[in-house]
Amino acid sequence: METLLQQTINGLSLGSVYALIAVGYSLVYSILLFSNFAHGGFLVIGGYICYFTLKSLGFNIWVAGLASLVGAGFSAVLTEKLAYKPIRERTNVTLYLLIASMGMSIVIENLFVIIAGGRFRALPAVIPTHPVHLFGVATTSAFDIISLLAAVVFLGALQLFLVKTKWGLAIRAAAYDLRIAGLMGVNVNLLISIVFFVAGLLAAVGGIFLSVRYTLYPQLGMITIKAFVAAVIGGLGSLPGAVVGSLILGLSEMLTAGFISSQLRDLVVFSLLIITLLVRPQGLFGKNISEKV
Amino acid sequence: MNLKRAGIILLVSVLVLTLGTGAALAADTIKIGYLAALTGDWAAYGQTEEKTALLAVDEINAQGGLLGKQVELVVYDFRTRAEDAVNAVRRLAEEDKVVGIVGANGSGINIATAPLVNRYGIPQIGTVSTNPFVTVDKNGKVRPYSFRVCFTDPYQGKLIAYFSAMELKKMKAAILYDVGSDYSQGLREFFMKSYGEYGGEVVADLGFRAGQDVDFRAQLTEIRDKQADVLILPNMGKEMALIMKQARELGMDEIVFVGGDGYAEFMWEIAGDSMENSYWINHVSPDDPAMAKFFADYKAKYNDECKEFVNGILGYDAMYMMFDAIERAGEADPKLIAKALSETKDLQLHHAVITMDEFHNPLDKDGIIIIAKDGHGQFYMKIKPE
Repeated sequence: METLLQQTINGLSLGSVYALIAVGYSLVYSILLFSNFAHGGFLVIGGYICYFTLKSLGFNIWVAGLASLVGAGFSAVLTEKLAYKPIRERTNVTLYLLIASMGMSIVIENLFVIIAGGRFRALPAVIPTHPVHLFGVATTSAFDIISLLAAVVFLGALQLFLVKTKWGLAIRAAAYDLRIAGLMGVNVNLLISIVFFVAGLLAAVGGIFLSVRYTLYPQLGMITIKAFVAAVIGGLGSLPGAVVGSLILGLSEMLTAGFISSQLRDLVVFSLLIITLLVRPQGLFGKNISEKV
Repeated sequence: MNLKRAGIILLVSVLVLTLGTGAALAADTIKIGYLAALTGDWAAYGQTEEKTALLAVDEINAQGGLLGKQVELVVYDFRTRAEDAVNAVRRLAEEDKVVGIVGANGSGINIATAPLVNRYGIPQIGTVSTNPFVTVDKNGKVRPYSFRVCFTDPYQGKLIAYFSAMELKKMKAAILYDVGSDYSQGLREFFMKSYGEYGGEVVADLGFRAGQDVDFRAQLTEIRDKQADVLILPNMGKEMALIMKQARELGMDEIVFVGGDGYAEFMWEIAGDSMENSYWINHVSPDDPAMAKFFADYKAKYNDECKEFVNGILGYDAMYMMFDAIERAGEADPKLIAKALSETKDLQLHHAVITMDEFHNPLDKDGIIIIAKDGHGQFYMKIKPE
């Protein structure tokens, strides 16, 4: 029973970090209908900005975090302007966007190999990681609780932004039909920039937490493959789906590793993906059955 | 046409001349080849080895060389790639006519070059090539011209078991190994075998995949539930650092970490204080009193610290092992040198005493225990399993 509780907490905290990344995937997918594989790159950019503002410029975590969020947001916008905009103006085949995003992901990774080097870097201890005992039955690190809370705060803020603001309304409209939203007078280019900015910002939050937990290196973005799986299970394009999918994934990873075998972990994760695609191809919360990749 | 022919004649005569002088020089010096990774992933290790090998050559030449001749080191960069190492061995054998080769510093490279050196009949000494197949072939037959100065993975597994059970008196071990690595799997297998013989019990035997997994809390929770008192880490630096960090975050304050020669100083940056009081089996130690002169000489010659000391010391002593064999062979003949190498007995090197066993592995070599303390790895003790 204690173990179950312990592994559940581990799973939720892992799932919450997946959720921050998966939501970014889903957001971009809902507007442009393609999976942005450069998303992992935004996470790496966020991590490195945070690292260098902390280490080289000597700022505290709040300033470094803000710089990282804004920096990753603008990098995402820049990526869209450089790599995706020229393509989407010329064709509406989303496959080209997908391929461009794979290219961008390799470009970003290698930029950091050249600029920062391939070695592992650890962020200074800016977020407490000491063990915390919960109700005397389970132990987790303070860091897990903070990352869970941060994920809840940022996802809540995103929900408020989408529901309460005018641009949020425009994004929801565009998610139904980008063309018609454009015809109704929504500035589509600005809207797409905002969506990429938000996706980049959320990726940076995930990037900071991942690099505190697992160290920072140019290939850190590879971890987004799990977030992508979570987004597909939840239903690409659906934000609640992305969150639920991430939690399912985090929990099933931890419970499999804890109770069955640590070697079967990835097997279970990808079997979940395949079962989802076979039984309910649109995902748990997906609306339409269109191509997922 | 005439010009072209003249060019060819010129080229041929230059070639003949250089070959001629090469042969003439070979008579005056004893040439030893060195395979070093001067570029690529292992560049830091290879550059250190090149420097320490040159240090050894300078020392021996200052004492009058070997067999009355000066020693000449021919270093080729294998760029951390097996195919370049194979080409380098060809060149060392056919053009440079070396009497022996020292290097490389990785099992994969040595396994790739082994068929070649055995065909040419030139002895090769690996520096940190720990895999059993470096010196024996797939049928378990010893490769007559392949040697190593380090201990093997099976022996290292035994050292870890001996230290955990007999020195630390920890009898309930958990092991967390990389399912995708031969090195890690090998250490695990031999650790489990020996640990049982010393009376220990493996209460948790769990795997992960290096390069993909970065979260080990599920495995660690299980290890905690099984109440293991020592956690064996036969892996590479990054994963071990993350495992130790996450274990301490889960409140596992009592468990002792014991690892293999994957220890690296950069782990401190990742794991921080979680590293404190962990133990690492290694080939050599940075503050072994016997190595003080080596470090001082290195610093005097290169005006730099010898950071990759495992490679540095093993490269240096592999050279001395070769020197000893050449002296005993009595002449600079590769076959006689290989025979002398295989008969190495009670040879006092700088870091250890070496006796070759029938499989060309150092017999019952001392293991060094490094303890992680006050922010860096320090010499703890020497062990020799019974």
